[in-house]
Amino acid sequence: MSTAIEVKGIAPDKTLETCAKLIIVSYFREMMSHKEGAIDGTDIKFVHDMRVASRRLRAAMDNFADCFKKEPFKKHYKQVRTITRTMGAVRDLDVLIERFRNELQTLSEVEQGDIQGLIEHLQQEREEARKPMVNLFTELDASDFGTQFLTFFEAKA
Amino acid sequence: MAKPQKITGLNPKHSFHENARTILPQKVEEVYTWEQFIRDPERREELHNMRISIKRLRYTMEFFAINYDKHFTDFIETIIDLQDILGDVHDNDVVLEVLTEYKENRQSAELPGVDTLIARTSEARNADYQAFLERWEQLSAAGFKQKLLTIIAS
Repeated sequence: MSTAIEVKGIAPDKTLETCAKLIIVSYFREMMSHKEGAIDGTDIKFVHDMRVASRRLRAAMDNFADCFKKEPFKKHYKQVRTITRTMGAVRDLDVLIERFRNELQTLSEVEQGDIQGLIEHLQQEREEARKPMVNLFTELDASDFGTQFLTFFEAKA
Repeated sequence: MAKPQKITGLNPKHSFHENARTILPQKVEEVYTWEQFIRDPERREELHNMRISIKRLRYTMEFFAINYDKHFTDFIETIIDLQDILGDVHDNDVVLEVLTEYKENRQSAELPGVDTLIARTSEARNADYQAFLERWEQLSAAGFKQKLLTIIAS
């Protein structure tokens, strides 16, 4: 996801609090739309897209914090930050593995041997990094995070 | 990673456009707090922090773009360009760190592939850093910051 999603309903003359709510809700839905793909883990683009969406969401929340009640806002913000961080660990390894795989083709047979070893080492680390991410999603589902988040931000306008 | 600077002066009951003029200059200033470090290629942490601040500015500009004319998009493109170059610098820094650590943990082994990639990545890192610096200086000479602040205030 290289470009921002279009947020329907925002306009220059509308109040900030109305637009802030619409942006945060849209970005949240966008972030969560990648969750199943991220859990599956077969295609690395889902983790990337979800992480980028979570960063966009955090940027919006950083900017618009003063539009919302401090305590519920803080709780939701921390959860989004945890999502970004947990996914970051997986994404960083995906990027490294992809890069070293691409480099493999440019190396001699002897050189390829130790880079292949490094790739396998990183793949093991990736499997380990995926566990807290999948656990986090399970916990968020169990605590009904999505509904609570949307109820809070949709009720504000 | 440095925390985002707290935004001040918001008025939630005022218009989206008016608040864009309050928020965006603060995000621009956050980027420029890192400028003092960028001429030292070894300031990896600060270069990384600048990239993160640029990313925050980009995302903020994107959702405020509706308040401005088409020319505003050109500024977003420039910001994305800077983010990409600094992203390449950072990616190379991370790759070098991983390769060096991997090598250190296997002290007795010969790792020709790792050595080749360390040399290649160091070269790419230097080239990306120079490209960033040149782009930055070019934008500074063209008065990019002032032009950006002027369009934000419009």
